[in-house]
Amino acid sequence: MSAVRVALLVVGLLTIGYGVALVLEHPWPDILHIAIWAGAGVVLHDFVFAPLCVALGFAGRRIIPKRWWTPIGIASLCSVILMLLAVPVFDRPGARDDNHTVLDRNYPLGLLLSIAAVWGAALLYMIGRAYLPVRKDDVVEQQSSDHIDAQPPPVGPNG
Amino acid sequence: MTSDAEKVSLRSTAVTARVGTALGVAVAICFVTGLISHFIQHPQPWFFWPTHPVWLYRLTQGLHVISGIAAIPLLVVKLWSVWPKLFERPFIGGLTRQLERLSILVLVASMTFQLSTGLLNIAQWYAFKFFFTTSHYAMAYVAAGAVIVHIAVKLPVIRRALGEPLEPPLAEPVPRGPSRRAVLWGTGLAAGLATVVTAGQTVPWLRRLSVLAPRSGQGPQGVPVNRSAVAAGVVGSAQSPDYRLTVTNGSVSRTFSLPELAAMPQNTRSLPIACVEGWSANAEWTGIVLADLLAAVGASPDADVRMISLEPPGPYSRTVLPARHARDANTLIALRINGQTLNLDHGYPCRLIAPSRPGVLQTKWLSRIEVVPA
Repeated sequence: MSAVRVALLVVGLLTIGYGVALVLEHPWPDILHIAIWAGAGVVLHDFVFAPLCVALGFAGRRIIPKRWWTPIGIASLCSVILMLLAVPVFDRPGARDDNHTVLDRNYPLGLLLSIAAVWGAALLYMIGRAYLPVRKDDVVEQQSSDHIDAQPPPVGPNG
Repeated sequence: MTSDAEKVSLRSTAVTARVGTALGVAVAICFVTGLISHFIQHPQPWFFWPTHPVWLYRLTQGLHVISGIAAIPLLVVKLWSVWPKLFERPFIGGLTRQLERLSILVLVASMTFQLSTGLLNIAQWYAFKFFFTTSHYAMAYVAAGAVIVHIAVKLPVIRRALGEPLEPPLAEPVPRGPSRRAVLWGTGLAAGLATVVTAGQTVPWLRRLSVLAPRSGQGPQGVPVNRSAVAAGVVGSAQSPDYRLTVTNGSVSRTFSLPELAAMPQNTRSLPIACVEGWSANAEWTGIVLADLLAAVGASPDADVRMISLEPPGPYSRTVLPARHARDANTLIALRINGQTLNLDHGYPCRLIAPSRPGVLQTKWLSRIEVVPA
């Protein structure tokens, strides 16, 4: 292990240690709630969110033609991100009657429009791909390794 | 048909290392700007924070929230790219493997903690039972440290992956399916989209596109409010005819009624109000230069100044303004905003507005200004 890696490891562990010490300054019930919140994030991601995405991807690959995987995959990722960002604002759980400058947008409409824009862009991309002239890269991409052009004509001694 | 080898090829070290690098940059920006905000609010002798440019805090705190939000899609894709490793055998393995798994657990737990609590906090949704600021600050070190440990462990792998071409060798061409380049493009698009739909709360020209921002940027007199007069419990005291602003320096003390303050020389400054929650707005503030008011009680320009609100004692009812900001000619005790008398929610009868400071320290509904003895 190089000196750089050892130094990074030591600095990283010390930084974690300082953070843990700061966490431990909280009252015990708070420490428990912090640990639960942090643990819940891992469990929700690893055993709910990720498997759900894998299942959707698995199903999608069987239904959707391969040439559309890229735009549909990217549009799906963007939609998931928009939905995650909408979680704390969608239903305005943090809204209070005394302050109308917080959470002052129509978030369900905003989410709908932004997701519609994402899929509209994906659709345009697919239409463009289907109708625009095929580019040289695509021709190459669709060739396999045994696709070899004819050899150039042999050059004679006088050529 | 889709072969296993092809499926694995998108989830590759080449993609993980590149997305991970972008995530590392976002986390570094978020961590540093977060520390800046923390040390402005909890000053240390070694910490220096300038008064100029006046928009500096607006920039750093805007970056804090923007980089944190951009980190969400980067983290999602990063975790997607390595998720199958969770089930790799041997499941337990030796001590080294257990330690590595533990370090990843700490990394993922602290990152999801930071990004989720931060996202909830800017929407003022306190779904958690712990105190946000102290726990977010403490866990920031855990997350930053875990990132550094992860880099230390993976450095040879990262170096190799970044040194090699992104796409696999042409010996196994993938006909028309998604490429690794497409994964990176998609990740970039998702990060850009996440930024655009939220950053308008601090970048005015993005306002109309930021459909998921917790703030539209609108509010009384064109400026949003974080803490209302009702929430602060000052509706009666702020509008009382008996209102007086007291300015003290040791035994010297002067009191000013609102008409007396209005009769003093008024100055107008264009200053941003920049909230710790990542929204900001520029406004024209009109009032008395704080240094003039302090001169009236013979204060030293090197003294810090305590700002005390009409608000009953609480974490933000009193703040200390460092001498550097107190003597700056841009620092006002404002009576007006954008040409109108301050709205009650903006701090009527008068409030502090200083350059390059977090909004939470721009004390509203001022009742006392005390020169702190050196």
